Amino acid sequence: MAIVETRNLTKIYGRQIACREICLSVEEGQIFGLLGPNGAGKTTLVKMLVGLVYPTQGEALVAGRRPWDSRGRREIGFLPENFRLHEWLKGEELLVFHGRLAGLKEKEARRRARQVLELVGLDKDGGKMVAHYSKGMQQRLGLAAALVGNPRVIFLDEPTSALDPLGRRQVRELLGALKQEGKTIFLNSHLLSEVEQVCDRVAIIHQGRVLAQGSLKELIMGPTEVKARVGGLKPELEENLRRRYPSLRAEGSHLTVALNSKEEIPHLVAYLVAEGLRIYEITPRQNSLEEVFVKLVGEGEKLECG
Amino acid sequence: MALFTFREAWRKKVVIVVGVLTLGFLVLYGTGLHFIGENLNWQANSLEYMQGILVFVLGVYFAGFLVAGLSIMSAVGSISGEIENGTIPTLATRPLSRSSLLLGKFAGQAAVLVTYAAFFFLALAGLLYWQVGMMIPGLLPALGLFVLEPVVLLAVAMLGTTRLPTMGNGILAFALYALAVVGGMIEQIGALLDSTSAVYAGVITSLLLPTDSLYRRLVAEIVEKVPASPHMGFVNPQHFLGPFGSLSTPSDWMIVYTVVYIVLALAAAVYLFNRRDI
Repeated sequence: MAIVETRNLTKIYGRQIACREICLSVEEGQIFGLLGPNGAGKTTLVKMLVGLVYPTQGEALVAGRRPWDSRGRREIGFLPENFRLHEWLKGEELLVFHGRLAGLKEKEARRRARQVLELVGLDKDGGKMVAHYSKGMQQRLGLAAALVGNPRVIFLDEPTSALDPLGRRQVRELLGALKQEGKTIFLNSHLLSEVEQVCDRVAIIHQGRVLAQGSLKELIMGPTEVKARVGGLKPELEENLRRRYPSLRAEGSHLTVALNSKEEIPHLVAYLVAEGLRIYEITPRQNSLEEVFVKLVGEGEKLECG
Repeated sequence: MALFTFREAWRKKVVIVVGVLTLGFLVLYGTGLHFIGENLNWQANSLEYMQGILVFVLGVYFAGFLVAGLSIMSAVGSISGEIENGTIPTLATRPLSRSSLLLGKFAGQAAVLVTYAAFFFLALAGLLYWQVGMMIPGLLPALGLFVLEPVVLLAVAMLGTTRLPTMGNGILAFALYALAVVGGMIEQIGALLDSTSAVYAGVITSLLLPTDSLYRRLVAEIVEKVPASPHMGFVNPQHFLGPFGSLSTPSDWMIVYTVVYIVLALAAAVYLFNRRDI
């Protein structure tokens, strides 16, 4: 069941189109990554989904309600990009305040505040003023604030931007733990490796348009290149091979062939063997998300709503 | 939210700074009263009684500046400041409507400011009683009008903060307040000199921001209850107060207008905030 769904969601600021006819669907319990270069429209899209920005046209539903319906926001947690927290509060006070705003009773808010402080590794720092937190600690406290209301969907806009490699790893582990609890996570990031490591599904956005979306496997499938180390290659045999595989390149005993998909690899192997070649090694080269991303952003073709 | 607002003011040292400033003001005022009281024969002479009233309304007039400054400073960035420094997205995505967020902030700040204004007003009256022995007539209605002044300013600043940047809103609020103060002075001097045009100029500025009219009505509430005296003859006691008096007194309708003004300013603030992208 889709917990986040958008249909032709569009936001226009004056003459600038920030998001254009965006259609997304995120199933409950998934980690969904929204990937795009800086200025692609990721933050505007997330802001529309959490009710901070009103769309110019189109529809969005989060946990069954329109995002600007405050009742539906009980189900969401949000960590904005470049956020600041009320620095004159202590860490735990801030979380209790956010818990109360999220609709928790005082006692429950205190219990949740301690729980999420522990979850983000700040259980010993809850009594400190937020102003005395380092940037990384503030980022983790922001994450705790997003979680304190026990939401079903958590929107994280560049959650690791202020963190060191260790902190990033902790956040990735935390996202995994939240997924285990059945939470849905909508992760906004321009860091390919981060998205690649944690997300079940990914959408690629560029210049306000969604270029592709699907599971990581679906996105990185497609044309692939195979390298083979063979024995017994003769010039006339090479000509035969090139007629069947025009992209073939031969360097000594190494052949490189471009195939439309990995499904064609067994047919290639069978053909080489049938032609009398001895095969010592076959290496299919995996497309990376980075390659897919660069290719899609370069082509810039928009994905139509299904 | 009121507790949250007070805690914010406390932690940001606003309470201490304002407390010290207010104490300084009261000490200076009390010292003045002490020396004035030695020579003021207010019980025997109604003209001197009016001088005692003048000293009190002067204190109230200048205390109004401090209260107004605090009101504007605390409200101008309520929304715009939180947007500018990036603290509002985590609040505005909570399950509470934007109107609740805005009105909650207003209620919290109004509670703090009304308490402060009431304390200030009663401290002035208390000092007068302590140093001079005079009890101000019509104290309660005057108090009610005095505490309404910061609420008016708060409502205007709340309206501005939903659309304008903090700096722009602050300048606008202070400019409006200055306009109301100057307009009020012109109105009273106009009344003293029988200049209808000058009185109208004051009425117009009071319609733009009805803070000075609250002060004038406050003075009228006090002076109306001054006991009649043969020393006064046919002279209007307001004449003794000069430009700090209320020779041109706002009507009951002006009070109604002020309440409607507050409600409309808040309604407009909610309307604008509800439609704003954050």
